[in-house]
Amino acid sequence: MRTTAPAGGVPRRAERRRRPSTAQLAAALGTGALLLGGLGAGSATAARAAHASRGATVTFAEPPDATPNAIFPIATAGNTAAYNSAIQAELYVPLTFYDATSGKLAFDQRASVAKSIVYSDGDKTVTVTLEKLKWSDGTPVTSRDVQFFFNLVKANKDKWANYVAGQFPDNVATFTIVNPSTFRLRLTTSVNPLWFSGNELSLVTPLPQQAWDVESASGKVGNYDLTTSGAKAVFDYLNGQDNHLATFGTNKLWKVTDGPFTLGSWTTGGAVTLEKSSTYDGPDAAHLSSVQLLPFTSADAEFNVLRSGGLDYGYVPTSDLSQSKFLESKGYTIKPWNGWAINYSPYNFNNPVLGSTLKQLYVRQALQMAIDQPAISKAVWQGEAAPVYGPVPQSPPSPYLSATQKANPYPFNPSKAKRLLESHGWKIGTNGLMTCKSAGTGASQCGAGVKAGTVLDLHMLSESGSTQTTNQMEVMQSELASIGVGFQASYAPLNTVLSETAQCKPTQASCSWQMSFFGTQGSWYFSPSPNGDPLFASTGSANFGSYDSPVADKLAVAATTSSNPAALRAWSAYLAVQLPAMWLPLPAYQVSAIKDNLKGVSQDPLAGQTIQRWYLANG
Amino acid sequence: MGRFVVHRAAQAAVVVVLVTVVTFLLLHALPGGPARGILGLKATRIQIEQFDKANGFDESLPQQYWSYLVRLLHGNLGTSYKLNQSVSSLLVERVPKTLLLTAMSTAVALFVAVPLGVWQALHRHRVGDHVTSSLALIGYATPTFFLALVLVIVFAEKWPLLPPEAPQGTSISSLLAHFSGLVLPIVTGAVTTLAAFSRYVRSSVLDNLAEDYVRTARAKGVSERRVVWIHVLRNSLTSLVALLGYYLPVLFGGAVVVESIYNYPGVGLLFWNAAQQSDYPVLLGVVLVISVATVVGSLAADLAQAAIDPRVRGALR
Repeated sequence: MRTTAPAGGVPRRAERRRRPSTAQLAAALGTGALLLGGLGAGSATAARAAHASRGATVTFAEPPDATPNAIFPIATAGNTAAYNSAIQAELYVPLTFYDATSGKLAFDQRASVAKSIVYSDGDKTVTVTLEKLKWSDGTPVTSRDVQFFFNLVKANKDKWANYVAGQFPDNVATFTIVNPSTFRLRLTTSVNPLWFSGNELSLVTPLPQQAWDVESASGKVGNYDLTTSGAKAVFDYLNGQDNHLATFGTNKLWKVTDGPFTLGSWTTGGAVTLEKSSTYDGPDAAHLSSVQLLPFTSADAEFNVLRSGGLDYGYVPTSDLSQSKFLESKGYTIKPWNGWAINYSPYNFNNPVLGSTLKQLYVRQALQMAIDQPAISKAVWQGEAAPVYGPVPQSPPSPYLSATQKANPYPFNPSKAKRLLESHGWKIGTNGLMTCKSAGTGASQCGAGVKAGTVLDLHMLSESGSTQTTNQMEVMQSELASIGVGFQASYAPLNTVLSETAQCKPTQASCSWQMSFFGTQGSWYFSPSPNGDPLFASTGSANFGSYDSPVADKLAVAATTSSNPAALRAWSAYLAVQLPAMWLPLPAYQVSAIKDNLKGVSQDPLAGQTIQRWYLANG
Repeated sequence: MGRFVVHRAAQAAVVVVLVTVVTFLLLHALPGGPARGILGLKATRIQIEQFDKANGFDESLPQQYWSYLVRLLHGNLGTSYKLNQSVSSLLVERVPKTLLLTAMSTAVALFVAVPLGVWQALHRHRVGDHVTSSLALIGYATPTFFLALVLVIVFAEKWPLLPPEAPQGTSISSLLAHFSGLVLPIVTGAVTTLAAFSRYVRSSVLDNLAEDYVRTARAKGVSERRVVWIHVLRNSLTSLVALLGYYLPVLFGGAVVVESIYNYPGVGLLFWNAAQQSDYPVLLGVVLVISVATVVGSLAADLAQAAIDPRVRGALR
């Protein structure tokens, strides 16, 4: 049919009627075909859920963007994530395992290879007796397997991520095998037994010497670890195998285990399946036949699957906590998972602009009293954060928490905070900010090193990516403004914040940071004994703000060496008052959503997991 | 034509080298470096120094770049600090996944956008045109994450017809075996692209409808259907083909938001996470792949245009 068109090319009515059907059909076909194609194939999530409800498998959500990437229990740099350790502990039982399943932090013997630990000779000798366990190849777990671990880390301590100079294995003078089930460590100095068992021996994992003492894939098993060069070669071989994620599920090395689970599969994307070990004969056998640990690209992706009922054990992003009721109606229990941790923002005492000001205790006291932690916990973190008043975790209950810290030495009191500044020579200037008007070291003056005209205007470098953290910074800005203190936050990825929050000298360009925050999930997670050694000790590697107090140093040393928890309480009390950092509310490690029929779950504050104790109520 | 291809290939090689230089310099200009982020808060100064030494960060920048180039020429893209996997294995695993998702999204978008754009042009300023144009603009303006969440809530929760996440396999066959999981990511990716493409086609068709050759064709008695769907559409698509050529890096780069929300770890997300974690080897690897895709895409676009349009062919000679 011939047509004519006016300028602009609009066709006749008859043509117009037909054309839309082409476009619409295409659109409908395109979308429809996709949808129909999808409908027929069923839902993977539904399949997951159905599978779990049969009692065979439980699904567990790994943290967002977490990819388990190491199976070898001697962690090297970059492989120390808690999810790696949690998986490894299910396959290779650690020498000592500490958790809070009993309500307080304690040695969990059932989840440990050590049966008893005896200190003698003024706490310079440790004798450890082992539980009767066997490897999956039928060989018993012996003292030789512990010695194998010891030899490997001793010869390769520069590669071991948990190595701290002067500590394990440096502080072990001799390792003696008494008999197959007992070994003895002669230490270089007396130690605090709680610290040594909890923080040092918990790093040790007996390894299957009879299977892993090899230098190459084709080599024969020997006793190579007994020499330094041999131990280096063995370590390099095992560590090399640990770099091949795709082979974890098939590599015969990793098939020899002594834990309640064996490895079913491990994908390069981070999906890990643990299967109940048929050879485990210890006191802590797994209840479930298998557990799937699933990776998620983001918290949103995880939450979508959770809302659809596709997970047995997941988490609720803090920004979605308002949907808790919905999840409860879908058969989930919502439980915060609180860490054995503290949250704080370090001050940079060497900052060339405000370092001298921040060194004044009264300034830190005023700043702390201006922060309303309970209100921030409630309003910003929707109740899933707990105030922090010092360097020792506030919960669970422990003998290390001092009464001073527990009682909060600096409760929220902005008017008192303002008066405190004013009583030391500060006045609100024309810019609306506290300005030092009376320089000097007198009782009513600003203090040593604080120049007249110094403006109390703080800059915070905070991690980005969390609405709650951003909101917290805004609340802090408002609260500090109420006492005349300026506060500006800038945001960067966590990695950048950690890199920039470095110890520095005032003359260095890198010393421009004043305060930093990296605690969206808690700033510092402790080992069972929270001696805090590297945190606020003048030579501590994690003393980011260069806090320098001989008293704190002395107390930290005492806490490490004394067996009396009172030593740690003294450290707690002193630093709670001295404020080496600004204490801030500690958010839960995660807010978990656990299917009602999944029982036996204990959310260990040390971030460990005893998956072997999970079971399904209807299973 | 042969000389043209050789000339463009040489240009492309220079561009790729320059891109690696600029990326390398920018990455190393970032404050701090990756050690603290990778090793964690508890890392000691000695451990950080050892990490820097092991990864060559204690060398001068030119030395570091030279080492990188040497490794690159040996096919070694390095190892991810964070993922404990070689960059090449990560790319081999993720590039096909991203290509599958973005190519299917683009195909769906084209399948709908081309006829829709033509129809809009033919019905310019009519109610249907206004309605579809408005819908296209809404689609274009809708934030991807919002659209994705709405689709999940509607099709995975309200009416649980489709999975809320993409298939978790690593091979193309395993992904296609669970095609239902790809539907929502594909639709999400297609909607915004569709809107852009349909607007582009509409405008291009309108331009061509005003050309002399259309009037000539009609005067010669060619049917309107033939005029529109053969003559006009062919000429309108030449510019779309060019657009698609330049779209190639997007196909490789992936869609971070779609991958993030649908739990589909592709190249886009790999790059985003690597940037957050200062995972330099991964960043350099992905940038290399995308820059190669960009120059190859532009070359392919030129060649495709030449194949379609004799005028372009003549110009290339």
